[in-house]
Amino acid sequence: MIMVRAIVRPDKKEVVLFELSSAGFNAATVVDVVGRGKQKGIKFGDIVYDEIPKSLIMLVINDEDKEDVLDVVLRHAKTGEKGAFGDGKIFISPIDEVYTISSSAAGL
Amino acid sequence: MKEIIAVVRMNKVSATKKALIAVGAAGFTASKVMGRGRLVEDKAIIAERRKTLLALAQKDDQNTDKIVTEFLDGTRLFPRRMFTVLAHDADVPKIIKAIIDANKTQYKVGDGKIFVLPVLDAVRVRTKESGDAAI
Repeated sequence: MIMVRAIVRPDKKEVVLFELSSAGFNAATVVDVVGRGKQKGIKFGDIVYDEIPKSLIMLVINDEDKEDVLDVVLRHAKTGEKGAFGDGKIFISPIDEVYTISSSAAGL
Repeated sequence: MKEIIAVVRMNKVSATKKALIAVGAAGFTASKVMGRGRLVEDKAIIAERRKTLLALAQKDDQNTDKIVTEFLDGTRLFPRRMFTVLAHDADVPKIIKAIIDANKTQYKVGDGKIFVLPVLDAVRVRTKESGDAAI
């Protein structure tokens, strides 16, 4: 199993979650975060904004679903045809074990 | 070294904290998150709580019905507390058991999930210790 952490624009959160649910990945955890990227934040004259609000969507999936989830997020979190700076990043990390508290069962 | 991420109900936070202390893993990081789980396919599981919630509603219209159903069957995001605990490999099973025991309810759904991730390294800032000694 793997954990996908997608950092997306807050205004793209709803559509990404909706499309993930339609694709069969309903379970997700969402955190509001602030951060900056390679562009060192946004600069307007002398003022630098380097704590830009984003939404972090975390979901844990089976290895074979990775491509499907990536495809949904990459397609719907993008701004316009070519994308723009600040559209976000996706990180993937391995998961050793998963437990559901209601049933004490191991696995997703 | 493992990182244990547990997403639990808001009203189980103090029970979880007590359980963690009892099992010897007092240190944790917690944050407020929004989440949803797998869709509830068997409507019988949520039928009873749906009835109680509908009885509490001010007026009985289509909208209330929709909101209550969405709230229970997992289409809506709702607030949860996310605990992050770092642990030695050997302690992982008993910490998981403690979290499960503290968070289980009679509702059958919505009690949360526990994820176990591998951790490459950890460093204690004060003493610069790294690896297992840092936890």
